[in-house]
Amino acid sequence: MTMQNLIVRTFILLIPFLAANLHVSAQSEATLSVSGEVITPLNLSVDDLKKLPQITCKTKDRDDKENEFGGVTLIELLQKAGVTTGKDLRGENLVKYVLITAADGYQVLYSLPEIDPEYTDQRVMLAIEKNGKPLPANEGPFRIIAPNDKRPARWIREVRSIKIAFVKE
Amino acid sequence: MIRPFINRINPFRKKWKRRSPHLWITGGLPVAFFFISVLLTAFEIRHPEPFVLDYPANFGSRFSIPADNPTTQEGVYLGRMLFYEPMLSADNSISCAGCHQQKLAFTDGKKFSDGIHGALTSRNAMSLANLLWVRQYFWDGRASSLEEQAAFPLTDPHEMGQSLEESVRKLQATDAYPPLFKQAFGSDRITGSMLVKALAQFQRTLISSNAPYDRYLAGRYVPNEQELRGMTLFERNPDPQQNIRGANCTHCHGGPKMYKELFHNNGLDIQTADAGRSDITAQSADHGRFRVPTLRNILLTAPYMHDGRFATIEEVLDHYSDHVQPSENLSSFIKGNSNQTGGTQLSLTISEKQDIIAFLGMLTDSVFINNPEFSNPHNAQ
Repeated sequence: MTMQNLIVRTFILLIPFLAANLHVSAQSEATLSVSGEVITPLNLSVDDLKKLPQITCKTKDRDDKENEFGGVTLIELLQKAGVTTGKDLRGENLVKYVLITAADGYQVLYSLPEIDPEYTDQRVMLAIEKNGKPLPANEGPFRIIAPNDKRPARWIREVRSIKIAFVKE
Repeated sequence: MIRPFINRINPFRKKWKRRSPHLWITGGLPVAFFFISVLLTAFEIRHPEPFVLDYPANFGSRFSIPADNPTTQEGVYLGRMLFYEPMLSADNSISCAGCHQQKLAFTDGKKFSDGIHGALTSRNAMSLANLLWVRQYFWDGRASSLEEQAAFPLTDPHEMGQSLEESVRKLQATDAYPPLFKQAFGSDRITGSMLVKALAQFQRTLISSNAPYDRYLAGRYVPNEQELRGMTLFERNPDPQQNIRGANCTHCHGGPKMYKELFHNNGLDIQTADAGRSDITAQSADHGRFRVPTLRNILLTAPYMHDGRFATIEEVLDHYSDHVQPSENLSSFIKGNSNQTGGTQLSLTISEKQDIIAFLGMLTDSVFINNPEFSNPHNAQ
């Protein structure tokens, strides 16, 4: 048996163990990342979010039924990460955007003034509960609720990441 | 020792000054030759010509072209040569085109593809069309650029099974390739990075935008009645209470490109053997999720799904209509999407399925599969 052969065979023997390892890591807890133009990048679990001030919002979903969503305001989260909001949301910071990506790759975008209470009465929310229960799989654990959006296409489910970035134009 | 040397020079300089004009000319000639040849060499190192990517405006320009690999005519030609180059496989038996045949919209018609030494790939070969707009490649989205993507099939022991270093060594030893690399990248010292860059450039030119559906969107094709019925079902959400029948395919497959960058579990099995996207993301919610593939040229790219389990498009329609399995991660856009009140399956009629298949025929781009620019350039030599 040549050396090369030996290496290949050893690797093949190792495959089930490598695969088993992957399977174990696949059980990891779902988290949400906040990154990009932030002072402090965040990686938060549902429990981390529960420690922030909670709000609720009654609104009709795609199915036309009224639901009560619970969670935190998106602005709360952005402030925690040190995004330019409030008095800092002026000048070039007005061409920053918030790109939100879901588990399935779906992406939606908000501008910062659409989220900032100094600009709007809408409270865009990062929901973790629906009618008092954790959001179901395929919807949660994190979902955006934007009550003023008549079409819920930006009520993005299964949020995995929130990235703040500058428009490059 | 130094003085005599200077003394030797001085007389020379005096002699030089005393030379006649005709000696000036003969002496200057070699110098002139030197300058002309320098100029000619400089001319040879010209920059590659940009490749103009031609696509309809409604496709948009959200491209995935890395800043360090602009698409050029020389790079695209080299990439096309390499795409059809069997030398890139360990036993010189297969090229990229072995599993990605133009006549089948760059698939191979097989459930799993043949690698070297009779090895089989673990997933179905994907169609290569409009890759310029893709941002995460493969069924599981593991590669974030075409450059990164290219290294996988080249080196995978179940595919072409040859290290980039060995491919570079083989290409460097040829007469044809070093000059082509020089034209494309400015150096004839080939590297693995140049190899994958050239392949990526060629693949970015594989734009499919001449199907009847494209002509319909441009107002130059009138669908027949069956195609129109299929299009309506394709686009419409079923609402049995309003008596509206639909299939809502467009939710994941729609838009002018017939491609959306999404990963979903489409209920093939209750428990899938292949973990799919969760191998990459390490999130259990991604178990059994796979890329939502393009529907362009879909009638040419059987068999279907990541494991090629459906031999025909009819079987695919039967799956979505009647056999979706309630897997834990089943897409919420499939779950409960039904033409019957409270139904768990989409439940299309036989003629509705045929209508949708007729519409899918509008996505077959015969210009794309016959475009000589994408064919084997080695045959033309």
